[in-house]
Amino acid sequence: MIVVKDLKRYYGSGETAVKALNGVSFEIKKGEFVAIMGASGSGKTTLLRILALLDDATEGKYTIRGLQVSNLPEAERSYYRLTQVGYVFQDYALINEMSAAENVYVLSMMEGKSKKEAYMVALEALDKVGLKDKPDRVPDELSGGEKQRVAIARAIAKKPDIMFADEPCANLDTRNSQQVLEVFKELNDKYGQTIVMVTHEPWHVNYVDRVITLEDGKIISDEIMSERGENNI
Amino acid sequence: MIDDMRVGALIAASSIKRGNKKTLAFIIFVLSLIFMNLVFLPSMIGGMTVLFTGIMQDYPFGDIVIEPSGDNTYINDADSVLQKTRAVEGVRAATKRLDVGASIEHKQKVVGVTITGMIPTEEYEISQYPYSIIEGDFLGDLSRDEIILGSIIAGTSTTLGDIYDDLGEARVGSLVDVTYSNGVKRTYKVKGIMEGNFELVDLNALVHYKEIEEVYGLEGSKATSVVVRVDQPGSEDQIKDKIRDAGVNEQIFTWADKSETLIRQALQSMGAINVMSEFVSLIVGAALILIIIYINILNRKKEIGILKAIGITPRSIVFSYAFLSLFYVCSGIVAGLILYFSLMIYFQANPVVFYETMIIRPVIDPVLLIRSIITMLILSVIAGTLPAWSVSKESILKAIWGR
Ligand SMILES: Nc1ncnc2c1ncn2[C@@H]1O[C@H](COP(=O)(O)OP(=O)(O)OP(=O)(O)O)[C@@H](O)[C@H]1O
Ligand SMILES: [Mg+2]
Repeated sequence: MIVVKDLKRYYGSGETAVKALNGVSFEIKKGEFVAIMGASGSGKTTLLRILALLDDATEGKYTIRGLQVSNLPEAERSYYRLTQVGYVFQDYALINEMSAAENVYVLSMMEGKSKKEAYMVALEALDKVGLKDKPDRVPDELSGGEKQRVAIARAIAKKPDIMFADEPCANLDTRNSQQVLEVFKELNDKYGQTIVMVTHEPWHVNYVDRVITLEDGKIISDEIMSERGENNI
Repeated sequence: MIDDMRVGALIAASSIKRGNKKTLAFIIFVLSLIFMNLVFLPSMIGGMTVLFTGIMQDYPFGDIVIEPSGDNTYINDADSVLQKTRAVEGVRAATKRLDVGASIEHKQKVVGVTITGMIPTEEYEISQYPYSIIEGDFLGDLSRDEIILGSIIAGTSTTLGDIYDDLGEARVGSLVDVTYSNGVKRTYKVKGIMEGNFELVDLNALVHYKEIEEVYGLEGSKATSVVVRVDQPGSEDQIKDKIRDAGVNEQIFTWADKSETLIRQALQSMGAINVMSEFVSLIVGAALILIIIYINILNRKKEIGILKAIGITPRSIVFSYAFLSLFYVCSGIVAGLILYFSLMIYFQANPVVFYETMIIRPVIDPVLLIRSIITMLILSVIAGTLPAWSVSKESILKAIWGR
């Protein structure tokens, strides 16, 4: 579904340019749950932002379902972000003045659904992350794990082709992290949601199908986890 | 576009509903002051205009004033003008006057004045001159060697006196020497002192019409003005036309015509101040609205970045800020109107008093209010939209992560 070819992203130019991504190629199939790992500064976030159309590659090709999306004009990127791509931020990035449901259904409204329809979609998404009973809470009234699950609900409400998450558990304790990872796994198992998640916690790989490891802007390993739960790095 | 607006409205509504209430109250309060600033001073100046217009009617011009046509110094046959005018239905009273320049001397002090020659018995129906005598008496039909002095000239004015020369100790019974503009000298006894707390009155002097006629050797009932009062206030324009139809070929003005030109002159400096203060208010108001919205937007830059990152269109974000600032400004206008009308009610009951007798009640001018409201609304849309538009154009990475 996603094909990336020789992707490069340089910060700055000339001699001093930081080569955050230095020729990355891979393919992600529908229904895969992929972890991107690597040391700090290896280019994980840079890669994910490009994949989620939040940033542009300096060089290389990026296609979603065969459509070339690198260097699209902003209006179209905005449309793709809205309709095809879900993104879960490390720090939740919820709108603090909106309730859990509003945070989710604002996107459905953007897609042209009526308020009522949008609300139903939001409830469905909140149900998937186990927060059906707290739609009217504002972020301040939710725990970190709950906030992250609202953010996940927001990312999946539109049923995106692919969902990205950049260290979604970095701000969470083990118990909350487990809950969030369970939600990811369930979305992946039950609904076939394609997920690409950046992490550097080794135990997270127990939840995923595949691990891509970066070092200095290059892929150093790309492993399929033969049987989940048994692999350890 | 519709979806952009709906989403913009949702974002704006939640930000109002769950945002910081103290900040909201403060923003609305400041905006209400901006609105007040736009409308309050003009209302006070409007009140002053009404006061001055009243004085114009009560003293020099009446409801309608007839003046010589063309370059003529005098209306030639004032009696025939009076006859025609008095015959017009709706005219209550009319009289003729002769205004001339002169200097008055008393105990070595000399003051230049305008002396109005009038027919004293007719003035009771026309003007407030007979009723503004604070010492002595008004002129009578036989007052041929007597004069009425304005209080500033006499030197008794406690309010406006300081800025003008006066005769020092001319009081009722004093003798004063008058030199008319044609050189003729006369000596008069001061019969009364009048005070209207207005330069037009208090810097004036009054003698009998026949005095001026004689001094200037005028014949055939000349007049510099014929002053008319009507039965029904508001009928001035109609009656002006009727007087013209009755065959009066001189220039005819209603008090409104006169105040338009005269007050504009008299209040020119004040008017300039008014225009300037309105302009400054607008600039300050616009700047404040812009700053408020801009700070608000800067505080929420990250939020804007997030909204964009998850696929909200920049247009929705701009709409949300347009709605937000529209809401602020509408609330500010409502609060400002409440404040304004409270103050108006207060000042109607407790008018501002200048010089003890000049009572100024602010005037509510609907045109001004509507203009100010529209101005504020336009400002709010511009002030709300421009910063949002510029921020929404910024890159997502920069907005969210600051780089
Ligand atoms: N805006 C930027 N300007 C310049 N250099 C940058 C910028 N963003 C990232 N970099 C550099 O690019 C490299 C990759 O950064 P990136 O954020 O992708 O790493 P990461 O793998 O996500 O690290 P971490 O695990 O710490 O989040 C680093 O060397 C970083 O310093
Ligand atoms: Mg990172």
